[in-house]
Amino acid sequence: MSVDYSKDMVLFDRNPELVELEELISKPIDTRPSKKYFIALAITSTMLLIGVIAAGITFYYGIGTWGNNQTIAWGFGITNFVFWVGIAHAGTLISAILFLLRQRWRNAIARFAEAMTIFAVMCAGIFPIIHLGRPWLAGYLFPYPNSMNIWPNFFSPLDWDVFAVSTYMTVSILFWYLGLIPDFATLRDKTTSKIKKIVYSFFSLGWRHSNRHWRDYEKAYMIFAGLATPLVLSVHTVVSFDFAAAIVPGWHSTIFPPYFVAGAIFSGFAMVVTVLIVVRKIFDMENIITVNHLDKMNKIILLTGSMVGYAYLMEVFISWYSGVPTEQYVAINRAFGDYAWAYWIMVSCNTLFPQFFWSRKIRRSIPAMFVIVILVNVGMWFERYVIIVSSLQRDFLPSSWTYFTPSIIDLGILLGSFGLFFTMILMFTRTLPVVSMSEIKAVVEGAQPSHHGGAN
Amino acid sequence: MPEEIDTKNKKTENKREPNYWKGFKEIYNDPEFSKKVNEDLTESKPKDANGMSRRKFLAFVGASAALAGAACTDYRDKGEIIPYNKMPEEISLGKPNFYASTCTLCPNSCGILIRTREGRPIKVDGNPEHPVSKGKICVKGQASILDLYDPDRLKGPLRKSKTGIFLKTPWLAANKTFITALDNADKQIAVITHQINSVTTKKLLGEFTKKYPNTKIYSYELFDNTIRNNAWKKSYGTDFYPIIKWDKAKVIVALQSDFLGTEGNRVENARLFAEGRDVDKVKNFNRLYSVEADMSLTGSNADYRLKLKPELQYNFVMSLLNEINRKTNIKIPINVSKFSLKSFAKKYSLDAKKVEFLVNDLIENSGKSIVYAGRSLPEKTHIAVNLLNEILGNTKLYNRKTSNYSVAGLSTYGDFYKLITDMKNGGVSVVIHFDSNPVYHLPDNMGYKKALKKVETVATLTESANESSEVSNFVFATNNQLESWGDAKTRTGFYSLQQPVIAPLYNTRQKEAVILQWVKGLNSKFKENLYHKYLMDNWRATIYPTLNSEIEFKRFWYGILNDGVVLKNEKIKSFGKFKNSSLSGLTTSPVKPNGFTVVIKESYALGDGRQANNGWLQELPNSLAQITWDNYAAISKKTAKKLQVQNNDNIKVDTGSGEKVYPVFIQPGAADNTVTIDSGYGRTKVGRVGEGAGFRISGLMSGKPTFSPWIYTNVKVARAEGTYTVVTDQEHHVFEKKPTENIFKKRGILFEGTVAEYEKDHKFLKNEREEERIVTPAIYPRHPELYKDVKWGMAIDLNKCLACGDCVIACNSENNVPIVGKDQIGRGRRMQWIRIDRYYSVSYDEPIISTQPMLCQQCDDAPCENVCPVAATTHSEDGLNQMIYNRCVGTRYCANNCPYKVRRFNFYNYRDRFKDGFQEEQLFDLIYNPEVTVRSNGVMEKCTFCIQRIMEEKAEAIREKRKIIGENVKVACQVACPTSAIKFGDINAKKSKFVKYRNHELGYYVLEEVNTKPNVTYIAKLRNTHTEES
Repeated sequence: MSVDYSKDMVLFDRNPELVELEELISKPIDTRPSKKYFIALAITSTMLLIGVIAAGITFYYGIGTWGNNQTIAWGFGITNFVFWVGIAHAGTLISAILFLLRQRWRNAIARFAEAMTIFAVMCAGIFPIIHLGRPWLAGYLFPYPNSMNIWPNFFSPLDWDVFAVSTYMTVSILFWYLGLIPDFATLRDKTTSKIKKIVYSFFSLGWRHSNRHWRDYEKAYMIFAGLATPLVLSVHTVVSFDFAAAIVPGWHSTIFPPYFVAGAIFSGFAMVVTVLIVVRKIFDMENIITVNHLDKMNKIILLTGSMVGYAYLMEVFISWYSGVPTEQYVAINRAFGDYAWAYWIMVSCNTLFPQFFWSRKIRRSIPAMFVIVILVNVGMWFERYVIIVSSLQRDFLPSSWTYFTPSIIDLGILLGSFGLFFTMILMFTRTLPVVSMSEIKAVVEGAQPSHHGGAN
Repeated sequence: MPEEIDTKNKKTENKREPNYWKGFKEIYNDPEFSKKVNEDLTESKPKDANGMSRRKFLAFVGASAALAGAACTDYRDKGEIIPYNKMPEEISLGKPNFYASTCTLCPNSCGILIRTREGRPIKVDGNPEHPVSKGKICVKGQASILDLYDPDRLKGPLRKSKTGIFLKTPWLAANKTFITALDNADKQIAVITHQINSVTTKKLLGEFTKKYPNTKIYSYELFDNTIRNNAWKKSYGTDFYPIIKWDKAKVIVALQSDFLGTEGNRVENARLFAEGRDVDKVKNFNRLYSVEADMSLTGSNADYRLKLKPELQYNFVMSLLNEINRKTNIKIPINVSKFSLKSFAKKYSLDAKKVEFLVNDLIENSGKSIVYAGRSLPEKTHIAVNLLNEILGNTKLYNRKTSNYSVAGLSTYGDFYKLITDMKNGGVSVVIHFDSNPVYHLPDNMGYKKALKKVETVATLTESANESSEVSNFVFATNNQLESWGDAKTRTGFYSLQQPVIAPLYNTRQKEAVILQWVKGLNSKFKENLYHKYLMDNWRATIYPTLNSEIEFKRFWYGILNDGVVLKNEKIKSFGKFKNSSLSGLTTSPVKPNGFTVVIKESYALGDGRQANNGWLQELPNSLAQITWDNYAAISKKTAKKLQVQNNDNIKVDTGSGEKVYPVFIQPGAADNTVTIDSGYGRTKVGRVGEGAGFRISGLMSGKPTFSPWIYTNVKVARAEGTYTVVTDQEHHVFEKKPTENIFKKRGILFEGTVAEYEKDHKFLKNEREEERIVTPAIYPRHPELYKDVKWGMAIDLNKCLACGDCVIACNSENNVPIVGKDQIGRGRRMQWIRIDRYYSVSYDEPIISTQPMLCQQCDDAPCENVCPVAATTHSEDGLNQMIYNRCVGTRYCANNCPYKVRRFNFYNYRDRFKDGFQEEQLFDLIYNPEVTVRSNGVMEKCTFCIQRIMEEKAEAIREKRKIIGENVKVACQVACPTSAIKFGDINAKKSKFVKYRNHELGYYVLEEVNTKPNVTYIAKLRNTHTEES
């Protein structure tokens, strides 16, 4: 069978008018939200509130309210952190790497994916702070000049995390905002409300759709995409160093950086698909975010899922091949020990179920993919849980072996992080264009006339 | 309420005299001073009863702890806080003072040395001058400092109202009413006490009896040596079973005896036993056989361990006699023909090989071996054992220079039955519990508590409320042992002295002083030094003349107070030959076991339960089961299967006086059909700490025991409803099967060998280690310029370590380690900086036990240090892995990365959390070692080799302009270790004793292949078995 790679993906099921696109995308912003929206918001904000209360209790009483113990000093906190950082990666990959690779189909989903990146990093960023024994001293992790001449320990992967995550957050926000500027201008031009006008005018930074603006914009966008690209790889690499640089059997492994990056993209795409399925339905954007888009993303999920599966196999193999008894034991214990249930959830959700995406039918079936991506989300959370907890649980000295049981506060905070994420998503869908208007217009048939005709 | 001299109270306050502990000021014999002292001491404050105001308390703590200059320990000083302007001569600020005294918490009366800072006692160690305990003290003694500052102590005397509520009452009023009751007592006055070791207390009780002639004194101990002593008396004619020269024994056979754990003076036993475990004199290694039903500390240290139900011990001893007779033709003066060792071993599935070894060892080492029967075994077994030792010539190991000595004997259960009958018949007017708790201790079926209701006046003299005080009309709050005067005599050859190290913290009086006041009547005004004077007078009049001292009494007195002991030349009653007549009561045919057997064992930590409100002891994990805060019914795996129970399931046990329910713990190595339960738990009236901890055992015991007071045979045991969670710090793996088979050996955590192996090749361990070595590359580049001067190190000799856990309590006390409580231990959040790791291997039924104290290894390449993002844990130039609490933000990354898992995170502010701020109460702050930071919520902590003691030596060295001498520093665990298994010193002091251990050929580091370069060396354990195989 031969595939014609020179042909682009069909971007729209039915070629839309430019004004129609603009109307469609700005509709959620301009209209009053329905009752359903408020019900959804109520649910997510309740989840958020539960999380805030749980975090407040933690802050007041201490980490003792969590399930952690002397042997398993990291539990849900770091699991959630790594999970959310992972989720974030899809956004940058879509907006930056696919941009540089001229994958124009990304235009439909880039804005949303980027927003998710930011929200996920926000969720992630909370955990390293609240998991501290003394969160009010979190500032010690930053290098700031002080009278005692004390600096953070630059040897510590946790300190690298501080820089990696904060850089990622900053770049992501700037990149996102840059892309929003032309859209702000469009909204400013469209709106009749006075207040909105002021707000949009402020954020559009005086954009007048001039040629020169466009030229500068494209340049800047390209540069930011270039800046963000290495971050896709570096951030999760650094996060994986938290484990790889430690000596704990089950953590100390050179495969971790690529394995973590693959896992991050895997889980990120799964999350993007999960949310997009809902959003395109609710906002009638099935014509913009088409099954073709989802199909493409599912292919990436299939690829990265298989990479993750390879990493699982490789971990087991290396632990045997290394001849280190502690490593070997951790591998055996993961599969057959106290946390075998978690391990097999992880293996089946991450490597087994995505294999269904080999079938084009399943790849393009909304209900089937919805189930699979949800399972992937679950599996990827468990991956971090297994790595952290099952390694610590059976490390060097058998006398300290123990079991981790999460507390209700742990569960509350996890729920709260989802609450925060979805609350942000919901608010985002009603305040900003979820699809980049300027970018999507650029890929409509005839938007960029050329001598050869067609969309190219 | 003030009962006397209220005006003086005012006067002293106006004078603003500094008020500190006086004992030594008196040495200078300053009359004006002592006058003032007495005034101060006798003043009694109305506020005491209500507690000090928070403001004042804070002011006090602030001044004493922070300024360290204004400190004064006496809480009765309510004056303004000002610094010492007239410096007391014996106190140098920032330097500890040590005072010798005597521990009175058990009948052993060991010598203690109390460290005080600015007049505030902060730590209890053994008194090195003491001839028996020689500078060591058990966990109970060490933890007694916590009893002193226990906020749940009684704050003053109480009187029960007609409605049954206890009311605070002034001493004067309480005494007045009580003396009237005594005067009116026309029937018996019963004084119930624990064993009296004090000559002066005995004299005092004598005077009391003289004044009230219808007084009878009853004394008891929950566990005592009566059976052993009675058997001895029958066999040899003298009163006391002799002291054993454990150090001279080549072969020790312990029959149902935990002489290393709870029997006799365990501190002495452990020390002497460990002398036969010196790797440098490997030819002198002793061999320990333990034949027992439970899994005791002794059993876990045995080279060979046999499981046997206690009632079969008699058959076993008789079979041994038979076998020895068969093999050596030594005549046995009793017919043992019906006891065949072979068939016995077969019948009760004892390992024939081990039994063979045992018999041969006994024969080969006759005169150098000792068979030691446990105190809970019945008399006939003891007599048979006496005979066995006699025919083997083991009497050479009996100490003939010194013997036990009893100031006053113990009463029997018969005496108590008589008392109870009298009580029931209204023949007793007054009962005085003289610091005893018979309601809790006496077997329930004796009906003591019920009989007590018939007694008109019941008084209890006690430090804190207990089961007996609850049913009393009067409760006289007494001083802690660290606030009391006294003396003790437990052995021939010396007296031990007790002196207070702090003025009474509350409105309490020494128990002897209370009695003395009653003897003297109310016409004589109470003075704080009442008993002090009485004691001195008694010594001057009766003991001083017998000592033939050439020193004038006063100076002599200060001298002996300083030493804590005074030696006396005494001859002991010699004992002659074994009396064959004692054998007449012995049966000549084997006894048959049937059903379940219950063994009641003295708890290692809690003893008889009088210290049940002591959080350190409650939280000290049992070194084998690693269980804290509870007792439990230990049964074997087979028995559990038979009863169809799992860990934490309840079982009901009926020894004949009703069913009692206990949670099950499956103990590897326990004998089948035997249930072992620890004493000391299940206190119903106790402070907040001991509340709800465990189950009482008095319901199982009987006043008319058929077998032995601590062993019940033919017991009904069945599964009961429900479960009860017993918490433990260590999972109960037996590393018997792959993939974890012997995992701790494979990983290089514990190396072991045998004596034979070592004798053959001294370097066997080194070779073994070389073979298995995988060198992980170092994380840091080498810095040859580091550690040039002093480098601190520790060596732990696993041959000597018995896994008793004394070091844990010492560390708690020295380093201000908080109590976390049962729920937190259950969540795996133990805070102790040093712990005893225990590993079972081989099988559930016949486990081999390996133990290891584990503490921060102070690695040169510490994995914790490079992962801390804020550099809160760093390395010092003398090789210590330091913790900077102020800098710690609590990421806990260090704990994850520590392969030894010795880092301890404060998951809560435990001082606040445990029992609702128990450890934050007024008095509790006084217990803290001022040299060690008190850690708070969210901070990581761990052992730093008692850095405060290292700094002390540093300061001393600087002051004396010399180099630091490694061996001058004695860390807390090292000081406490009864067998001196822990050595500490400077690794770079090449000629020091310590370095020999550091570089010992049996030395190894835990997890060598991780290459963290630890500074704690473990000396591999040698098992003295017959083979080279370990």
